[in-house]
Amino acid sequence: MTFTEFIVSYGGVFFAGLGIAVAVFLSGIGSAIGIGIVGQAASGLIIEEPEKFGRSLVLQLLPGTQGLYGFVIGLLVLGQLDAGMTLAHGMYLLAACMPIGFVGWQSAIAQGKVAASGISILAKNEEHSTKGIIYSVMVETYALLAFVISLILVNAVSF
Amino acid sequence: MAIVKMNEFSLFAFDSSKEDLLHELQKFEYVHFTNLGVDETLSELGLKNVKMPEELMEIDDDIGRVGSGIKILSKFHDKPTGIKAMKEGVSTYTFDELEKEALSIDYNETLDGVEELWGRMESLKHEKDKAKTRLLELKPWKSIDLPITDINGINRAEIFTGTVPKKLRDRLDEEMTGFEKTYYQVVEEDKDNLYLVAISYGDEVKKAIDSLRNTSFSRIKIQGEEKPAQEMEKINERIGELNSQMEEVEKELRTMTSRIASLELVYDYLSNKKLRTAAAENFVSTDNVDVIKGYIPSDKAKEFETKVKERLDNIYYMEMKEAEKESDDTPILLKNSKFAKAFESLTGMYAMPKYSEVDPTPLLAPFYLAFFGMMAADVGYGLIMLMGTLYVLKKFNLKENTKLFVKFFYYLSFSVIIWGFLYGSLFGGIIPLPGLFEPAEDYNSLLILSIIFGLIHIYFALGIKAYVLVQNGKTKDALFDVGLWYLALTGAIVYLLNIVMTLPEIVKTISFIVMIAGMVGIVLTGGRDAEGMVGKIGGGIYSLYGISGYVGDFVSYSRLMALGLAGGFIAGAVNMMAGMVAGSGVLGFIGAIVIFIFGQTFNLGLTLLGAYVHAIRLIFVEFFGKFYEGGGKRFNELRSKPKYINLK
Repeated sequence: MTFTEFIVSYGGVFFAGLGIAVAVFLSGIGSAIGIGIVGQAASGLIIEEPEKFGRSLVLQLLPGTQGLYGFVIGLLVLGQLDAGMTLAHGMYLLAACMPIGFVGWQSAIAQGKVAASGISILAKNEEHSTKGIIYSVMVETYALLAFVISLILVNAVSF
Repeated sequence: MAIVKMNEFSLFAFDSSKEDLLHELQKFEYVHFTNLGVDETLSELGLKNVKMPEELMEIDDDIGRVGSGIKILSKFHDKPTGIKAMKEGVSTYTFDELEKEALSIDYNETLDGVEELWGRMESLKHEKDKAKTRLLELKPWKSIDLPITDINGINRAEIFTGTVPKKLRDRLDEEMTGFEKTYYQVVEEDKDNLYLVAISYGDEVKKAIDSLRNTSFSRIKIQGEEKPAQEMEKINERIGELNSQMEEVEKELRTMTSRIASLELVYDYLSNKKLRTAAAENFVSTDNVDVIKGYIPSDKAKEFETKVKERLDNIYYMEMKEAEKESDDTPILLKNSKFAKAFESLTGMYAMPKYSEVDPTPLLAPFYLAFFGMMAADVGYGLIMLMGTLYVLKKFNLKENTKLFVKFFYYLSFSVIIWGFLYGSLFGGIIPLPGLFEPAEDYNSLLILSIIFGLIHIYFALGIKAYVLVQNGKTKDALFDVGLWYLALTGAIVYLLNIVMTLPEIVKTISFIVMIAGMVGIVLTGGRDAEGMVGKIGGGIYSLYGISGYVGDFVSYSRLMALGLAGGFIAGAVNMMAGMVAGSGVLGFIGAIVIFIFGQTFNLGLTLLGAYVHAIRLIFVEFFGKFYEGGGKRFNELRSKPKYINLK
């Protein structure tokens, strides 16, 4: 069996698996970095005003959703995994995972930065801290759009 | 259900009666003063801005004292915390009750007591800290069986006490050999240092000092008189005394904690008094007469007039008229039904409407309700919300604002339950329910449904825009800016539908004509305010370019489907994980329950947060963007927000 034959016979499931990995790890990394950024900013606030913990936790959670979107797409692809799937099917699933993987990754970081500045709203003008949450959610729109496309792609074509 | 109609009044009254008047108006509550101090035409006329620095400073001092008194006493007060505290909640007073109650309290006496006790406590604490430091200083020398006065006061020999770094121990032994009249001993050691006592006599002293210096010896003079051990015992005794004295002071402070409640009342009373006094700074005056301007709700105008009349004994001059519609100075007070009131916080978060606009609260409420439900969509989550909010509303005694916020979620819970049934989702499908949609497969119909919601939402927003324009007598603008857009959008949508489904040829043609007619109309009228022909056409084309924004708006509604699905899938994944461990014996079953509860709680929080903010986004950006400007001033009642009580 040559390498090409090997890829043709078993490549499908490999690429589909790679797709799951891309969806989960890229968006996961993004969310982890985003949450990390907010967490650092929030810790500084808690030194002075520990009673704002609850609200700061909400801000910290915001960049976490991208990782979950990636996880959901990963799960959906997982449902289609099959040792005998064709190469084309596998590569298609990999492509379907790309939008949430990449957009999730970068948007979570950007969202983390906005949420971190939301922490300073919370510090100086607590009444208006919901506005910081809304600013941060504006960024998430694009992760949501990517999620919708990935979702449609995963289910759109049947092999 | 809208913006409350306002009357504008101008009042001339004697300066000497202003405190009485303000007091009466504070009871009346619904007065909003205009700051005349910033009006330059008035100051050019020679009217001076009223200033009350001394009075305000005095009240501020009092508020500060009462506040710190409450803070001190709270440290010694075992307050019920958590759920019990919330159940007890806050008491409700009317303004008269608060005033009567607060004035009957001799808070100065209480505060003097608290401050005196706290001062004693502080000085006792200070002395204790000092004693503890002394103990630490003496500890290394405990084993020296010699009064300290002797160590420091010996005549013919020299005694050195001090430390040497531990790592130089070998060096020390080396340096200190070859002496005859010098003796040294390490009496104690800790992590870093050796504590050394050395005694030297006569001509060797100088040499000994040099040797010690070579080992980085740093001299410490022991303070005290008696033997170190005895000294320490004395200090310990003193600390014991201090402790019992502190306990006594603490006991006294504890008995005083019963007065916290009355101090809190005084605090809220004084805050109101401060607001009332500060309100006078909005006035301008001649030597004897104050000029006062402000707003009151029209339906309270009569009551206002009688109050002023009574209080000022008929010696005043007042003019009153309906507030101008276009004026940006008119303060905004919203009045809504019980249901819509819960959504007022959303409007307030964006901006209060201008006086010429409509109150968007009742208009956004049903959409917000539907959107929130569609994004959270789970029977289980909805039931938890419903029961939680019901319990809180029935059992807890909450402040007005908190109560409204809980009510807000109470209303939302119904929508979440209904959508949960439509989606057939109970805790992510732990018990299968027959739903109208199967989210995992029908995502396409859900997507279309989301876009249709968007369509309705945006058409509705345009409709409101037209309504407001017509109300303000700008029928032509309504026709051009809304009517033509309706034509262009509807035509374009129907025409585009041809791509995905076959429609009769006639529909296609008509929709095409309608679309083009609308678009041409927009190009022709969109720039009608611009100067010159080029400007008009350019403005028109730019207006038409706005259609790309509408595409973006519709796409934005896909989040309705996406968040609903994501939440459902995550809940499903939690169930799957719980299911995996559930099979393996009793331990597995317990593990499954833990995973289920933890995972679902996490997802519940995340879903609600997501639905809350994303629904807000759809309202603020897509909905408000079409018709709502906002930027009105909030009506400031002549009452300060109480910190510890509910004020009626």
